[in-house]
Amino acid sequence: MSWSGSNYVSAVVALAIASGVALSEACAADDMAGLQAEVDALKKQVQEAGEWRRSDSMVHLSGYGAVTYSDAQSENGAYDGVVFAPIFHYQYKDLMLLESELEVEVGKEGETEFALEYLALDLFLNDHVTLVAGKFLSPIGQFRQNLHPAWINKLPSEPPGFGHDGAAPVAEVGAGLRGGLPASGGRLNYAFYVGNGPELEAAGGELEGVRSEGMTRDEDGKKVLGGRLGFQPIAKFEVGMSAATGQAAVARDAAGAVASDPARDYDVTGVDFSGQIYGLELRGEYVRQKAGAAAGSVAPDAAAWKAWYTHASYPFQPGKWEGVLRYTDFSMPDANQGQRQWAAGVNYLFAPSVIAKLAYEKNDGESGTAADADRIQVQLAYGF
Amino acid sequence: MAGISRFRIGGLIAAGFVAVAVLFYQATPLEAREAEKPGDSVRGVTLWADNCARCHAMRDPKEFRDDQWRVIVSHMRVRAGLGGQDARDILAFLQASN
Repeated sequence: MSWSGSNYVSAVVALAIASGVALSEACAADDMAGLQAEVDALKKQVQEAGEWRRSDSMVHLSGYGAVTYSDAQSENGAYDGVVFAPIFHYQYKDLMLLESELEVEVGKEGETEFALEYLALDLFLNDHVTLVAGKFLSPIGQFRQNLHPAWINKLPSEPPGFGHDGAAPVAEVGAGLRGGLPASGGRLNYAFYVGNGPELEAAGGELEGVRSEGMTRDEDGKKVLGGRLGFQPIAKFEVGMSAATGQAAVARDAAGAVASDPARDYDVTGVDFSGQIYGLELRGEYVRQKAGAAAGSVAPDAAAWKAWYTHASYPFQPGKWEGVLRYTDFSMPDANQGQRQWAAGVNYLFAPSVIAKLAYEKNDGESGTAADADRIQVQLAYGF
Repeated sequence: MAGISRFRIGGLIAAGFVAVAVLFYQATPLEAREAEKPGDSVRGVTLWADNCARCHAMRDPKEFRDDQWRVIVSHMRVRAGLGGQDARDILAFLQASN
């Protein structure tokens, strides 16, 4: 067989095409491998980016901050409130939540005051029962556990008697159970606890105050049991009843620490309500702490601290402007040291969590003290 | 004697809480709860409107990510006395709306 010139040309062309196809297939295979590698890398990135959504352990930083300016009768106006209250949340699945609030404040002398407002371990036992242990805000009433953060409280100040030195318990160190469940077409929520209880303060042979910030010691050795039951018969309306009972002892008087003062009965009762209708928010709360008599004590007589407030607010431009009115009556064992207060305010919400407040307080208390001085307050608060 | 009595009472109370915790947990283990009761976002809308505004201004669901809402709702479950199912329904709504 002999090949002509055209045959040689055809063979060369065919060989060239075959080589090109082979080369092209090899390149395509390389491209595919490269693409596959890129896809795998992207998959890994997407998986990593979504890990935070599926992780068993979660961390969240929350809290609030507030700056307050106060101008009271008989005192120079001053920026007298600078508060930073970070809240740390750590959660493992839907089983455990650790929640802790620090309260960092600037004091009158420029010093930094630092406090652990609460540190609670919440173990979700089932849909209706949560075990709470640690230092927790007192479940007595509503203000302390739900309304005290500055971005939630609709006035710059706390109602007299519901702050750190008043009639309402502030916090407790102990353990308890709390939760919620459907009941009679409405909803029931509950919180019961046992804790170390408060300590009493005396001065001049009389009981002067109750320290209820939550302590890790229990000088009298007697625990306090307490709790609150809340019921919502209809949406946006709740009534609550609170009580606590146990024993407490005087731990401090004007001369300093008091040792081995006899334990005496200690009882707390309270009722509260909150409701909303056509935008109008109404709430009120009554609480009474009573320490019984104790023979042989540095302050043997019984004493009671009582306070109640009622509060109304109305958003006359919903989500922006709201007006607030509150009346409070705080009674102490020394009748001269009680306080009555009318407070009226106007708030502007830059956002649901950013609020500016302007308020005027008309105070009626012991003459010559802050409890009797009317004042204007301006506050900017942010809940994050 | 009084000291021993106090010690025993305090110990009994602490042991009681641990016993209650174990009993409740054994009754419905975590895995069982997670598997059988997902949140209902439709029901969650109403619960969100009825419960959250009882104390504070309504926060925009877009304000937080899914994982952040999960922790926040757990915190509010304790604070507001919500049942577990109500909390999951509210969470489903917030995560679907952000």
